[in-house]
Amino acid sequence: MVERSLKYLDERLGTASLARKTLRKVFPDHWSFLLGEIALFALVVLIFTGTFLTFFYTPSVQEVVYNGSYKPLQGAEVSAAYNSVLRLSFEVRAGLLMRQTHHWAALVFVAAIVVHLCRIFFTGAFRRPREVNWLVGIGLLFLALGEGFTGYSLPDDLLSGIGLRIFYSVTLAIPVIGTWVTYLLFGGEFPAPDIISRLFVFHIMLIPALLLALVGVHLAILVLQKHTLFPAHGHTERNVVGKRLWPEQTFKSVSLLLFTTAVLALLGGLAQINPVWQYGPFVAYNVTSPAQPDWYIGFLDGALRLGPPWDLTLWGFTISEVFWPAVLFPGIAFGILTLWPWIERRFTKDRAEHHLLDRPRDTPVRTGIGAAGLMVFFIMFMEGGNDIFGVLLNVSVETVTRILQWSLLIAPIVTFLVTYWICTGLSRTRLRPAQINAGVRLSRSPDGGYETVPLEPAGVDGDRTPATAGPHGE
Amino acid sequence: MTDSDQGSERVDVDRQTDRELTGSQRRAERRAGIALAVAIVAGIGLFVVYFAGGQTQVEGVLFAIAFGGLGVALGIWANHLLDAREVVEERHELTSGPEGREALEMALTEEIGPVIGRRSMLLKLLAGAGGALGLALLLPVLSLGPAPGDSLKVTPWRRGSRVVDEEGEPVELNQVPEDGFLTVFPEGHAGAADAQTLLIHVRQGSLKLPPDRMAGVPDGTHVAYSKICTHAGCPVGLYRAESQSLICPCHQSQFDVSDGAKPFFGPAARPLPQLLLGVDDENVLVAQGDFTEPVGPAFWDRGR
Repeated sequence: MVERSLKYLDERLGTASLARKTLRKVFPDHWSFLLGEIALFALVVLIFTGTFLTFFYTPSVQEVVYNGSYKPLQGAEVSAAYNSVLRLSFEVRAGLLMRQTHHWAALVFVAAIVVHLCRIFFTGAFRRPREVNWLVGIGLLFLALGEGFTGYSLPDDLLSGIGLRIFYSVTLAIPVIGTWVTYLLFGGEFPAPDIISRLFVFHIMLIPALLLALVGVHLAILVLQKHTLFPAHGHTERNVVGKRLWPEQTFKSVSLLLFTTAVLALLGGLAQINPVWQYGPFVAYNVTSPAQPDWYIGFLDGALRLGPPWDLTLWGFTISEVFWPAVLFPGIAFGILTLWPWIERRFTKDRAEHHLLDRPRDTPVRTGIGAAGLMVFFIMFMEGGNDIFGVLLNVSVETVTRILQWSLLIAPIVTFLVTYWICTGLSRTRLRPAQINAGVRLSRSPDGGYETVPLEPAGVDGDRTPATAGPHGE
Repeated sequence: MTDSDQGSERVDVDRQTDRELTGSQRRAERRAGIALAVAIVAGIGLFVVYFAGGQTQVEGVLFAIAFGGLGVALGIWANHLLDAREVVEERHELTSGPEGREALEMALTEEIGPVIGRRSMLLKLLAGAGGALGLALLLPVLSLGPAPGDSLKVTPWRRGSRVVDEEGEPVELNQVPEDGFLTVFPEGHAGAADAQTLLIHVRQGSLKLPPDRMAGVPDGTHVAYSKICTHAGCPVGLYRAESQSLICPCHQSQFDVSDGAKPFFGPAARPLPQLLLGVDDENVLVAQGDFTEPVGPAFWDRGR
């Protein structure tokens, strides 16, 4: 049976040799190489749960009277969108499980992308020839953030409505074109009735289409260039050491997919998330407190809370105080992140091809800068919860904010220095797999004698260029 | 097929499927079997729960057990029951080399004809046509929103607008108790987002406003400010009567009610615009006009 269908396909599509070659492809084993896979599998869960939700969701702000089974809201005037979210949470069997799993999967999706990004950054996996895939990855990060934010806003509840209001204010703060961009995006002054249906189009069509296309490109480039390796015995710039796609990697990956799904289903079933019925429907003049967005927007909300109260009027035009923390800061931070492979190259002058990864300790400057950058985002994230910390620690919100404002100036520098010091310290220890001899090559000379050529130990202290460059390194 | 490795053609005789299992393999097989059995039971459980009416928590746990059981079984299988070994695969060169690139250039230019190389008029016109069409294709984007115009600078408040609450009921002088506040709107626009206003009944003599502003405070105690935070547009929903301060719960901007709602802490840079009020002959509060300046967060041409 299997043989017959293989023959059928092969005679029509020539699949046998292609499939064989694919199945025998070698992928290296390391736990950190699974982070991107977790993101991919969370995306799979998102697509399945999201498709289910689409069948019940109504993307409309038409006013309806709620008459579902959630008693506190019975008789309330709510939007059709909010009404449909309550219906799929309370009336549709397995609906709440799907909705909560979808939300958890979204949080894990972005988290896995961010941790995967850190792995790529701190091990130098973005270096030539992988700069293109770095850009694709950054694009995926932005799309994931956009997908998360648009989805978060769809229920049209009070909390997400406030988030949308803030986002509207941020786009208004873009100099020169802000008002126009905002009106084109939102369909008019907030809260324009088109917003929810537009978010829906973005969330279920435009962004997912781009996301899936870029995931395809991301993986295709990975297959084409082959995976990177950590330096170890027998690992060189010219080989890949690992297990084949079939059966080992397939079994492991499917196992990881199942585990990811299991964890997300468990969270979706047991851990309540985004209880929109508690927030209530969106009303333009109401507000909840404390108000926190999903974790990945936390840094931006924190930046807005930390921001200085400086607006600027130049020749009668206004630059909003929102511009500095919510437009300029993310612009610069993500700009540096996007261009990092080229920024780093400018200083290291390293144009060689790299397939062996750096250990973070061996590149203390990069590791220090990365840690400092993470610290900046972490402080902003903390400030996003300044009201909660104020209550928890029984200090005023003003104190929390002042402390974090000073931390923002000092902590990144301290983080850099401490990280640099730890890295150089670790580098001096004997725990240096990077310097393990990669082995010798035996070559025979024409006169019958033998000589041994040592293979390159990857990455020598203080010298970022490997002893032997890649096949076409300059 | 440059990247297929040499060893792969070898057929291993010891890879027979009917080979005897070792002791540890047998144990692994048993554990994987148990995990799969658990997954089957959880799967059946899901049927039961669904048809019994559904229960979110139980469904979540059963799904987790079913997926987890399968995952465990495959994991054990991968680690103990496969014959997979570490393999070394050579990397192929990524570049096609100068010859390859030259060949591509040939393929691109060979049959293109003589026009391209000459920077002819035709090419310029082609670029022009492409540009014109490209811009024209962007035009429908403009249909996505109205022109902003003055819409951000005006609200429905007019001279003589009666002050009403969110239900549309007129609000009279002294209806709001001292130290209390109420969200109000112009009559006919109850609930309008840009018209939301806080009417605060402060203690007599506690306001430090210039005379022209004081003239819009009936009884010297009924002061009204826009409820939209000048920072990022959240409704400024918290009022601390003892310090007469308004607090925005989103980003903790704080405004001094007694001093023209000027911000004294937090990220907001501008005071909440004031709405000058009066009282009509039925003792109902009325507006003297629109706000003293554009409400809400700053935008590029708000000062123009």
